[in-house]
Amino acid sequence: MDSWTYFPQFLSSGITMGAIYALVALGFVTISKASQIINFAQGEFVMLGGVVTFSLLNGLKLPYPVAALTTIVFVVLVGFATYLSVIYPLRKASILILIMATLGVSIFLSSTSGLVFGTLPKALPPFTSEQPLQFLGISMLPQSAWVLLSTFILLIFLYLLSHRTLLGKAMEASSTDPLGADLLGISRNLMVFLAFGVSAGVGAFAGILITPIFFTSYSSGTLLGLKGFIAAVLGGWGKNNGAILGGFVLGLVESLSLLIIPSGYKDAVAFVILLLILYFRPKGILGSPFIDSRRW
Amino acid sequence: MVEKKKEFRKRDFFYLVPLWLLSLIAPDPYLYHKKEFRKKDLYYLVAICLAPLIWPDPHFHHLMVLAGIYAILSLGLGLFMGYAGQISLGHAAFFGIGAYTTAILTARYALPTFLAFWASALSAALIAYLIGRPILKLKGYFLALATLGFGEIFLVIVRESTDLTGGIIGIFGVPWFSVMGFSFDTYLKQYYLAWGVLTGLFLFSKNLVRSKVGRALLAVAASEDAASSVGIDVPKAKLDIFVLGSAFAGLAGSLFACVMSTANPEAFSLGFTTLIVMMVILGGMGTIYGPVAGAILLTWLMDILSRYQEFSLPIYSVILILLLIFFPDGIGTRLNVRVIYLIGYWAKKKKRDEGKL
Repeated sequence: MDSWTYFPQFLSSGITMGAIYALVALGFVTISKASQIINFAQGEFVMLGGVVTFSLLNGLKLPYPVAALTTIVFVVLVGFATYLSVIYPLRKASILILIMATLGVSIFLSSTSGLVFGTLPKALPPFTSEQPLQFLGISMLPQSAWVLLSTFILLIFLYLLSHRTLLGKAMEASSTDPLGADLLGISRNLMVFLAFGVSAGVGAFAGILITPIFFTSYSSGTLLGLKGFIAAVLGGWGKNNGAILGGFVLGLVESLSLLIIPSGYKDAVAFVILLLILYFRPKGILGSPFIDSRRW
Repeated sequence: MVEKKKEFRKRDFFYLVPLWLLSLIAPDPYLYHKKEFRKKDLYYLVAICLAPLIWPDPHFHHLMVLAGIYAILSLGLGLFMGYAGQISLGHAAFFGIGAYTTAILTARYALPTFLAFWASALSAALIAYLIGRPILKLKGYFLALATLGFGEIFLVIVRESTDLTGGIIGIFGVPWFSVMGFSFDTYLKQYYLAWGVLTGLFLFSKNLVRSKVGRALLAVAASEDAASSVGIDVPKAKLDIFVLGSAFAGLAGSLFACVMSTANPEAFSLGFTTLIVMMVILGGMGTIYGPVAGAILLTWLMDILSRYQEFSLPIYSVILILLLIFFPDGIGTRLNVRVIYLIGYWAKKKKRDEGKL
């Protein structure tokens, strides 16, 4: 059978995947708004979001919204703890040390959650019905619609946070010009601290959204985090709408690549895109405010 | 009358004893730039030769074989990261390329291992040359991400091209390393093989960093603009050292395949990359003694931790983060200086307290 008959189906799954990558990428961008730190443990926050909600739902029998909210608060606390215990002591360290430290955090979170919550893959029940929606011959899970809607709402929320509040302005100031922010009395450490909390919350939210669609296990965070980072770079490092665009482009390309290559190679597609975009246009599609093209 | 203070604090012993012990083992890059050949080198060599004879425990031999192989790998990475100041999170892929080249050539086509050994270095260097030019244009986080992406692509290709690499299961039945009919079939022989190769490559790197090339690398690490303004071809210098480091990794991978008699993709994942980068950082960047010391240290640490089964990874990551926070320059760096400073501090303390100094 010709795989092109599945084209609409690949399209819809690509859009769903894209929304997820966009959510993960938003977490990276939130931290980049406060400082030029890249948190390689971002994917683990997503994983924690799914896994903790699962155990709250099934272990403590909490109602769904309560479990989800508790999880988000918990993961935000984990984000704060990560900042205080690892990033703050290393705030003056070199890039390499920071990369290795956040990779260490990533190993710690994934292995610890494997110990605490078990290593089996987990799936949450969908928010509403499990009946697929039929639309122009494409069947789509209602959860995918939830993912798209939530991504949109989160984007508006993050836009308001960064463009309409003093806090967001202060964060952006401390990222673009650290010395100037210091002179204006903005506490840079506090800004990065808050950004870690927000990005952990965004990550946990993404994790809760995707666990009904894909199985989440203790080890699935790393790859998801890397792909989210690729999406952020692809769209334009440091821009909210860049992260959204990059996420959807990445999801669609990855999904549509199944038309021409075997499915096992799917994971490599994102990294090939990364190498191409870094070589030809490191600024990303929309252009990044942080990357000066002359220096690349 | 000035009240007489205590001569020394008891807690100073806690610093001094482990610091002094460590300073015996760990080399200090800041004191190592003056003399070309030191007695200490000879001591190290004698210690390496005698250690397996003094301690005839097969487990110790096997661990030290692994430590030697990782030391070759992190020596190459140390040249690239420590001297040229770049970041690579994809070095495990070159290790894997070396291991798979050897495994395929010997287990499938029954070539002699000695030939496969050199072919591994060549193939790793060739692939490094092909991807080096575009990747090394990047800096900082993006260089790290690009090399990491290369490593992941390598893993996916290895897992999926089942005909060539055997997929997830890998390739079994790689013969022992043998030269001219002499087979390295015991752990003791493999120990001398790995450490012999390491000694040769170490001497090569030691001469390299003292040569014009090595000085050029230091200049590139300090400032690329300044380096290019004094006539150093910066892209070429970076590419050369990247290819050289990858060739080292290929050699190490070839030895690894021969020693473990297998090659499978799990050995070259992101976790392994983290481990070898940690070896370079903990040994101390910008020194060639450091990666070797780091390799021995971390191989031992991993072996001790493997007793704790499922708790090993959390403990390992906590130790890793603590070491990064407290020793970001490497464990050995400035250790001698710190000890000398402490001794001097105590020696002068009495005089200072009496107001003579």
